Amino acid sequence: MRQADWIVLIATLAAIVIYGVWKGRRQRRLEQYLLADRQMQWYTVALSVMATQASAITFLSTPGQAYTDGMRFVQFYLGLPIAMVILSVTAVPIYHRLKVFTAYEYLETRFDNRARTFTAIIFLVQRGLGTAMTLFAPALIVSLVLGWNIHLTTLAIGVLVIIYTTSGGTKAVSWTQTHQLLIALSGMAIAMTVAIRSLPANIGFTEAVKVAGHMGRMNVIDFNFDLSTPYNFWSGLFGGLMVALAYFGTDQSQVQRYLTGETITQSRLGLLFNGLVKVPMQFFILFVGAMVFVFYQFVAPPLTFNPVQSEKVRTSAHAAEYQALEATHASTFTAKREAALQLVTAIDSGDAASIAQKKSALQTLQKRDDETRKTALALIKKNDARADAADTDYVFLTFVMQNLPTGLVGVLLAAIFCAAMSATASGLNSLASTSVVDIWKRLIRKDLDDHTYVIVSKWMTVFWGAFCIVFALYANQLGSLIVAVNRVGSLFYGTMLAIFLVAFYAKHVGATAVFYGALIAEATVLLCWLFTDMAWLWWNVVGCVVGVGAAMVIQAALPRTATQQ
Amino acid sequence: MTNETPPPILKTWPRLYAAVLLALAAEIVLFTILTRSFH
Repeated sequence: MRQADWIVLIATLAAIVIYGVWKGRRQRRLEQYLLADRQMQWYTVALSVMATQASAITFLSTPGQAYTDGMRFVQFYLGLPIAMVILSVTAVPIYHRLKVFTAYEYLETRFDNRARTFTAIIFLVQRGLGTAMTLFAPALIVSLVLGWNIHLTTLAIGVLVIIYTTSGGTKAVSWTQTHQLLIALSGMAIAMTVAIRSLPANIGFTEAVKVAGHMGRMNVIDFNFDLSTPYNFWSGLFGGLMVALAYFGTDQSQVQRYLTGETITQSRLGLLFNGLVKVPMQFFILFVGAMVFVFYQFVAPPLTFNPVQSEKVRTSAHAAEYQALEATHASTFTAKREAALQLVTAIDSGDAASIAQKKSALQTLQKRDDETRKTALALIKKNDARADAADTDYVFLTFVMQNLPTGLVGVLLAAIFCAAMSATASGLNSLASTSVVDIWKRLIRKDLDDHTYVIVSKWMTVFWGAFCIVFALYANQLGSLIVAVNRVGSLFYGTMLAIFLVAFYAKHVGATAVFYGALIAEATVLLCWLFTDMAWLWWNVVGCVVGVGAAMVIQAALPRTATQQ
Repeated sequence: MTNETPPPILKTWPRLYAAVLLALAAEIVLFTILTRSFH
């Protein structure tokens, strides 16, 4: 990395931290500190909601996903706009009218303290681990590709976030997020422009899209119903709807963003804007990956994208085997480049038969290269059993580091760091809020003055920040547990959603029924995880349906006196 | 400003909700056309 890149990166991060501290100065009341005095306008709510969901992994991994698998991941977001409408009608007015600080506070009003504490603890566990992962995952990728020390990278991102989140609370988080999201999206636009402008002279935007399409990278929609496929239209619409309802309606890291809205109108507009923009935004991020794929049809990509693992295998007993694969990859690339140029010529001529012939030739070469890559990745795994066999997370950053000009590399790294910081900040901010409002203030010390609770909230932010840093520092050694942690949200979201749906719509169901219904739902989801090959998006549907159904049945079976509970 | 003010565009909330859902439907149609155009 050149000096100019360092200057851009450090200046951007310093500006964000200083801006956050300045924006959030002089906060003495709990409502000020945790909810920005409920004074935010819709655009801040909207950008803050979007930035909370778009972590660095969104910007690092999603393009890599399009590179290897096409754009079907966008289907995961199809349920989101529907969820935004449902939440605008139901949750937003209820939370606003009750003037709650957290989503779980509402459950005590509706059921009892047991339901509130149960959901608050589930949230603290899953969001605590989730926030640690939002810190760890980008630090791992950036440190491997750039050769930085992973511990220092994790520590740097974590400490910067703790500084302005602790100092400025929700106001600092929301305002910095608006800038962070814009920086991150600008970075993606720059990367896409560079990828397209670096193509051979006769290939413009239209040709690039057509090459991507003919190579299966524009496969956005898949209407085949298959429970074991993670991304198709149906899992995206129904599973995605459940995930979005649970995430935006019951996860404090999101609820807290729209509770800052000045009125119901401002909060609703923020959510609806997210519903309008989210799917196109994800399409755009995946599209960047598809353009990187087209770029690598004309510029030789490395055989595998994880530089540390590639280097390890090159100096191992498998070196000769790996070098042979690299030679095959190089010769396939030369043939592939020629075939891609011929496909572009055929596309320009408009001759359907010629296009079909050239497309088939290019696809055959691509399959051969995919096989070579697969063998190389298997060799990496054979060489180091703990190595990550998938290298898609490293594709985009490798492209950035090897092909962007000086200065713009700094902008892209700043964009990735901004995304990591914004998602982590929301996580810490919501963890502190729930710890103080639902646990400390409710169960430990009810009699402190407002300013003391602000101080406790600040210490809770520091505590959760330290927890996430420590967990992230040791995450490398947790191996396959990381996969489980990544899915931990879907293990609990269905049950959480069931509790809230019963609270909103089944007014006759009481606290006892919903509590045991939730336990049954959670047990069912865990059984699905452990004993079936059901795709994880469906766990949310199972948890929700079983939770609501079980609560209804238990309520009907309870003696009449118990319905009062 | 009260909590029940109408949205700044389209005059009523149901219309705004419908606009969000229509935009989603349009996106699905466009994505389907894009996917099928290369099959």
